Amino acid sequence: MCEFSRQEFIEGLQMLGVDSIDKLKYLLPSLRAELKDEHKFRDIYNFAFGWAKEKGQKSLALDTALGMWRLLFKERPWPLVELWCQFLQAKHNKAISKDTWSQLFEFSRIIDPSVSNYDSEGAWPYLIDEFVEYLRENQSLEACTSGA
Amino acid sequence: MSQAKKKNFKIEPFKHKVEMDPKYAEKTWKILEDAIHEIYNHNASGLSFEELYRNAYNMVLHKYGEKLYSELVNTMTQHMREIAMIVEASQGDLFLEELDSKWREHNKSLQMIRDILMYMDRTYVNNFNKTPVHELGLNLWRDNIVRSPKIKDRLLDMLLDLVHRERTGEVINRGLMWNITKMLVDLGPSVYQDDFERPFLDAASDFYRLESQQFIETSDCADYLRKAEKRLNEEIDRITHYLDPKSEPKITSVVEREVIGNRMKLLVEMDNSGLVSMLIDDKYEDLGRMYNLFRRVPTGLQTIRDLMTSHLRDTGRQLVLDPERLKDPVEFVQRLLDEKDKYDKVIQLSFNNDKTFQNALNSSFEFFINLNVRSPEFISLFVDDKLRKGLKGVSEEDVESVLDKVMMLFRYLQEKDVFEKYYKQHLAKRLLSGRTVSDDAERSLIVKLKTECGYQFTSKLEGMFTDMKTSRDTMQGFNATLAGSESNEGPTLAVQVLTTGSWPTQSGARCNMPTEILSMCDKFKQYYLSTHTGRRLTWQTNMGTADLKATFGNGNKHELNVSTYQMFILCLFNTADRLTYREIEQATDMLAPDLKRSLQSLACVKGKNVLRKDPMSKDISEGDIFLFNDKFSSKFYKVKISTVVAQKESEPEKQETRQKVEEDRKPQIEAAIVRIMKARRLLDHNNIISEVTKQLQARFLPNPAVIKKRIESLIEREFLERDRVDRKLYRYLA
Repeated sequence: MCEFSRQEFIEGLQMLGVDSIDKLKYLLPSLRAELKDEHKFRDIYNFAFGWAKEKGQKSLALDTALGMWRLLFKERPWPLVELWCQFLQAKHNKAISKDTWSQLFEFSRIIDPSVSNYDSEGAWPYLIDEFVEYLRENQSLEACTSGA
Repeated sequence: MSQAKKKNFKIEPFKHKVEMDPKYAEKTWKILEDAIHEIYNHNASGLSFEELYRNAYNMVLHKYGEKLYSELVNTMTQHMREIAMIVEASQGDLFLEELDSKWREHNKSLQMIRDILMYMDRTYVNNFNKTPVHELGLNLWRDNIVRSPKIKDRLLDMLLDLVHRERTGEVINRGLMWNITKMLVDLGPSVYQDDFERPFLDAASDFYRLESQQFIETSDCADYLRKAEKRLNEEIDRITHYLDPKSEPKITSVVEREVIGNRMKLLVEMDNSGLVSMLIDDKYEDLGRMYNLFRRVPTGLQTIRDLMTSHLRDTGRQLVLDPERLKDPVEFVQRLLDEKDKYDKVIQLSFNNDKTFQNALNSSFEFFINLNVRSPEFISLFVDDKLRKGLKGVSEEDVESVLDKVMMLFRYLQEKDVFEKYYKQHLAKRLLSGRTVSDDAERSLIVKLKTECGYQFTSKLEGMFTDMKTSRDTMQGFNATLAGSESNEGPTLAVQVLTTGSWPTQSGARCNMPTEILSMCDKFKQYYLSTHTGRRLTWQTNMGTADLKATFGNGNKHELNVSTYQMFILCLFNTADRLTYREIEQATDMLAPDLKRSLQSLACVKGKNVLRKDPMSKDISEGDIFLFNDKFSSKFYKVKISTVVAQKESEPEKQETRQKVEEDRKPQIEAAIVRIMKARRLLDHNNIISEVTKQLQARFLPNPAVIKKRIESLIEREFLERDRVDRKLYRYLA
């Protein structure tokens, strides 16, 4: 997982016009800034799935996925990322499919943190349906305890 | 020949110039006037028709038509007024009689007058668009008598009063009424309708509103309906006897509205006598009456139907969820069938076989049968009971009718695949234990299921029957080879070879066979595999039975019918009188639950305890010791100890079956998704869900969440993908 081939490494740096560590250092802030663009972020996010999983596997191991998510959502903050990871560890404990991975990004983009605009007929993956349920249960619990 | 001018000949009638002078006209009229007087005074016999006719003719001819007509009007009006005074003066009940007789006389007179003045009718009246004599006579009668202020209201009041009296039970002069109403009709439809019919209908409306209020407060439902029917018939009777037929629909709709329509809800919902209690007590006649009356009013039948449906759903729900009932599945199903029969009868006898009621019945049954998830299992158990013993000695037609009833319940099931699973299990047990009452009945039911659900549903079931037959043939061949060979000693073997795919799968069973059995089994295996190479045989020790001859203490001999497991256990006691649980376990190598169950039925059941257990507790524990019970006795020579009969499943078994069903559903759902997507290429989420549900509803109702999971699985396996732009759309990947 998380491997570049030598070829890829060289070609990639060539395309960036980088041939020394300093030049790379210099470029890093602007590269990081690119992540602010939603489309670019989506491309990188979806790429990350294929890149992070083991060769020959169809799904991404849970631990790796959690790590990846935390990493990616540092650049583009999503308030529910920790709860999502918590939920997965408590309730799912299995590898993550490609569809779930890519749809999660859409979820973070479209649905607001209070999940008030979540549409249960919205063709979301089953795991995300369960996550929303999990959120709502916990929200009501919080409401109960805070109200008491 | 002279060229004479041709003159045209004209022949003219001889003009008799008879001038009628006005005085002559006056005289002529006087003659006619007198005649009219005489007619009205019943002295017509002395008149000459010919003379009067001629007089009238002359007047018209000499252009005195106008005078004749207007004088006629005056004279007749005068007469009408005189008659009106006479009628007005009459007292009490004589009023109507007087009116009636005067009317009849008037008609006669009018006829004569019309005849006399016929020439005027045909010429002057036509040419100058005047009202013809007869009609004139009627109009004058109408305006001067019937609508005269002193008569009009009195007439109406009397008529309505008579009707009211008749309604309250008095006998009235119907003939007289008939004449009066006919008079009104003759005077013109508007006279009848405006002067009589409308107030008549209003009065009826008030009467029935009041009466129905009283009835509702004092009668029960059946009683009320009887009274309503009676009133309705009375009104119809009234029409035929003294009212215009056109009034019939109008009065019936008044009665229907006041007596039935406005009281419907109160009636059907009456405590202890309304629709519900009628249904409970099978009151066919009352229900029939209700149906016939209610169908006359809009939403009448719907009212009945709705209440019947909600009652049926309630009783159905109670029946189906009542824990007491659930203890006996056969009883449970019988009760459902009884309920269906009951309502079928009601619909047939009381509701005129009305299809809408039949539909309401069907939808209610479908609703509550599916409230209990065990319904499919129970229906299969019911069938099992019937096919094992219930239908013994029953005629072929009756068998068919029972099976048809079962099919009818089957159609209501939503989870038909669950039924299939149980049916297969129960059928397997029946076939293997040889306990079916009639092969024909079994096959007949399979055919019905095939007709209902298609070939796929029953192909495996038919496979089971085929296996049984094939096994019989195989056994014949095997026994033939045995007969030829050496010793025929040892146990007789009867083997059924089951094709794995067709029979219900059993979880791994195992045990060690005793040597006597083993050698026989091996012989069979050899024989079979010699003719069927490439196949693999595995002994299903949990499904077999055995007949053992046992000799007990006092020389008592019995034949024991036991399961294969029990046979293995008992054979151990051929070489030992006393064995511990552990020893038995080791020798047979059986799984603990199977072992415990078998031991329990051998040692702990009264009357069947061929083994004794120490300690004598009900349950088997691993420290128990088992002894051969040489004191065993039974009334019968043959004793049945085996437990291979189909029963209601225990909780864990139920869970297991449920799980298997869910597992089986997954590929079916996936196949449906793929079929649909292949045809449509691009489809959105909600539509897939509804299409899949539609395709599978003949077998079961798929859960949308499960469908979603299957879609995701198909995405993962790259059969489908999400559309890049609209994430709710799925695309089929070729």
